[in-house]
Amino acid sequence: MKKALPYILLAPMMLIMGVLVFYPVIATFSYSLKKWKLTMPGDIRFIGLDNYVSVFQSSSFWYSLENTIVILVAVVLLTSVVGMLLSMFLNIETKVSGLMLAIAVLPWALPPYVNGVLWKFIFHPGYGFLNKLLLSLHVIPQPVEWLSSRWLLLLAVSLVVTWRSVPFMALVCLAGRKALPESLYEAARIDGASKAQIFRHITMPLILPFVGIGVMSTSITAINVFDEIVALSGMSDLGKNIVVESYLTTFSFLDFGKGSAITYLVLLLAAIFGIFYLKTLNREVQY
Amino acid sequence: MRKRWQKIVAASLSVVLLSGLVSGCGNKNEKTDSDSKEITVMIPEWGAPDDELLDQFEEETGIAVTVNEVSWDDIRDKIAIAASGGSAVADVVEVDWSWVGEFHAADWLEPLKLEKEEIEDMPTIETFTVDGDILAVPYANDFRLSYYNKEQYEKAGIEKEPETWDEVFENAKVLKEKGVSEYPIAMALNAEESAATSLMWLAYAMNGIVFNEDGTLNEESIVSALEYQDKLIKAGLIDPADKSSSGMDAYRRILSGNAAFLTGPTSFVARSNDSEQCSVVGQILPILVPGKDGKSEHTMPLPEAIGVTKFSKNKESAETFVKWYTSKEIQKELFERNSTIPTHNTVLKELIDAEKMVHTGDMLEEAKRIASPFPNGVPSYYAEMSHAIYNAVNKMATGAFSPKEAFDEMNKVVTELAGNK
Amino acid sequence: MKKKYGYWIFMILTLICIIGPFVWAFLISVTPEYGMFSKTSGLIPSDITWENYKELLFNGSRQSRLFFTGIKNSLKAVVVTLSIGMPSAVLSAYALARMEFKGRKLIKNLLLFTMVIPVMATIIPIYHIFMDYGLLDNIFWLSVIYVSSLLPSAVWLISNYFATIPKELEEAALVDGCGTMVAFVKIILPTSVPIIISTILILFLNTWSQFQIPLILASSKMTKPIAVITSEFMTKDAVNYGITAAAGICAVVPPIILALVLRKFLVSGMTGGAVKE
Repeated sequence: MKKALPYILLAPMMLIMGVLVFYPVIATFSYSLKKWKLTMPGDIRFIGLDNYVSVFQSSSFWYSLENTIVILVAVVLLTSVVGMLLSMFLNIETKVSGLMLAIAVLPWALPPYVNGVLWKFIFHPGYGFLNKLLLSLHVIPQPVEWLSSRWLLLLAVSLVVTWRSVPFMALVCLAGRKALPESLYEAARIDGASKAQIFRHITMPLILPFVGIGVMSTSITAINVFDEIVALSGMSDLGKNIVVESYLTTFSFLDFGKGSAITYLVLLLAAIFGIFYLKTLNREVQY
Repeated sequence: MRKRWQKIVAASLSVVLLSGLVSGCGNKNEKTDSDSKEITVMIPEWGAPDDELLDQFEEETGIAVTVNEVSWDDIRDKIAIAASGGSAVADVVEVDWSWVGEFHAADWLEPLKLEKEEIEDMPTIETFTVDGDILAVPYANDFRLSYYNKEQYEKAGIEKEPETWDEVFENAKVLKEKGVSEYPIAMALNAEESAATSLMWLAYAMNGIVFNEDGTLNEESIVSALEYQDKLIKAGLIDPADKSSSGMDAYRRILSGNAAFLTGPTSFVARSNDSEQCSVVGQILPILVPGKDGKSEHTMPLPEAIGVTKFSKNKESAETFVKWYTSKEIQKELFERNSTIPTHNTVLKELIDAEKMVHTGDMLEEAKRIASPFPNGVPSYYAEMSHAIYNAVNKMATGAFSPKEAFDEMNKVVTELAGNK
Repeated sequence: MKKKYGYWIFMILTLICIIGPFVWAFLISVTPEYGMFSKTSGLIPSDITWENYKELLFNGSRQSRLFFTGIKNSLKAVVVTLSIGMPSAVLSAYALARMEFKGRKLIKNLLLFTMVIPVMATIIPIYHIFMDYGLLDNIFWLSVIYVSSLLPSAVWLISNYFATIPKELEEAALVDGCGTMVAFVKIILPTSVPIIISTILILFLNTWSQFQIPLILASSKMTKPIAVITSEFMTKDAVNYGITAAAGICAVVPPIILALVLRKFLVSGMTGGAVKE
């Protein structure tokens, strides 16, 4: 009985994950090994890794991969820094800190599509807020086309995604800070540790697993950005990342085989980061 | 203190667990097995019949209808996923004109039988007919129609409506010079579907041809249309914002008095008379689409239809619904309720004669010029083709490509697609 | 004193960054449709209309019916997600953090690994499963899918917290003759209130903003969450930015209320150390 207890506790989680995540993800892998274009229902067959080969040969895939990486780097850097700062700020107790917390989660609560539309109005070349603001401050002589050049567009997408993911990061870091036993700090202070030392030897190691989960989750969000790109630039080639590429292939072009292969490459990319984080996290967790 | 917490937490956890169990039991879907007197319809919000109409239908036929309103492009995704698993997402589904080719190739639609008289009254049904089979019946009409702001034209000293594309260009220059309108022409140039159709109808109106018989692009026609667009952009006659805002937003510039000329959806006949949407009511007049040496003889249709899915278990009831929903009587009703433009020419005429549609200008005349630019019907690779076209158009608009380069880029893809067929 | 200045400056910056876009959304929601495309350089619209809010909240119009059904559906999904997600996350986290058993590390890593699986990689087979068993258009099963995507981070967060609780506390209870589960309920849970509240808030917000999953799995009015409903106010032909913005603003109200209610447990009065004493 005693031996079975952990498995009983884990059972609900394992059941849900097994049926609704592991089985489907294996099924999708089997799709990616097939020639399966819905407009050719008579020609569905196993073709091994051909879909992957054809994806690797298309310049369109490499272009979108570049975009994915740019967004990933920008979002993770921005979100980590801003999120940590925000969590430190929210951790300070004042009369307004509760209200600030409620305000801080606002971007997260906004439906993603509305988020996209909202930012489209901010970056719009004609009647966008940013242009109107900069024009009235005489910073720019004429409206800037924010969404017509690749790098500006990617920057805009990264900013929007950062705006949406900072609250999660801040909340997770905040939860991490709450986990720090106050007694440890007192002990350190009595031992005469400086603030920097306390941060380096107590706060950092203890908070790292929480930051880690935040960074990991943000990386995955950044790799999987979709709604923001579609809202800001439609299905344009300019700003598409691999997720848009996979959506286009699967649903617009109805090629379920090749689309699944691209989806698997998205997974693979995320997995590389996942393994990296897992390694760091598991090393750090020693209480 | 701690005791109280324990109690609260323990109590809330057990409540949560219990409610999980309860909701798990209570929410089970009670689906009755395929009863032929019950059908589901998946359609976008603007095409959805209201409850009153549905009650009327149920009374007449005994068929109960459940309507699932789903946004336009999501319907296609859902049909695809469901069909890939061999099932029907709904008995009756929306079929956009651009989907016909792929739905036919994928074998997702059940052919329908219609009276000859009905077919002849609906010119747009041609788009939905493949190899003699009617795959879907149009319920909402849309074809390209031109609009111009008469008052602004007169303010700039132009008395006559434009007959040719050259006149459109010359007029726009005058409008801009005289300061009547900064960007007189509205045109969809964003990387989305509307930019692809814009190029198609423009080439069609200018040269009467878009595609060769083998499905490849007609180089001469497309290049001249691209050059014309490029000329307008370079002369500053199109708002730079049209390059990155949605096609609909570009079109709507005419409603705010921002643009003076538009070739766009038929719905703008109604929109330009609605003071909630339009700040220049009464100034905008629908006219025939210009052509090369006079008005264009053709205009491109972009209708929407409903069809019966192949995997449906209630095909008979579904077909009854399709016929009822696209009948003349309901078309009249739909116009009054949703201002859907009827697909039957006789209904269109009746509404105009009864002055239920006003300021229609040349709309009815244009409806008679509807013809499809696809020589072999909408191809099964339409989505891929359109994606290549709108991206190339957008790259030309942002200055990355010359018209010739844009053509080469789209031609490479389209030729390959047409060859692979 | 200097510290205080920093605090206020940071606060104002934060407010501008967070509230700014909302103010802009609000301006859009009160601008009449035709005014939205005018080229005026002014930031505030010349005409103001409350029509969008009236339409959305009162009129009993189509949009308002849809809006309220959407809110109701989202709330239902939140309740189901929390009811299933929290207990399974807490139990799993406890097992993973405090127990030694075969395969512990493997299960933990596998679970964390599922975080990298994108929705697109599972949604088509899930749709087929749902189709086969008649589970489509059903808030309960839709929420189970949310749970499957939220469990990994929830379990990880909670188990990390459990790991910081000193073992001696639990051992003392065990010596007193309590069983493992009793010790868990009596010792571990009460000390973990902050993380449980945080996780509830995280699950709530993540469920609230679910978009791609319900977009594919929910078609009927009775299941579509508010995020999907608002997106449908903008359609291919009838773009209505005003009402979309208004709906977006109104849709953040329930999460805000929750955050306001929970803030007490999160920020003030409940610092980790105080409870663990």
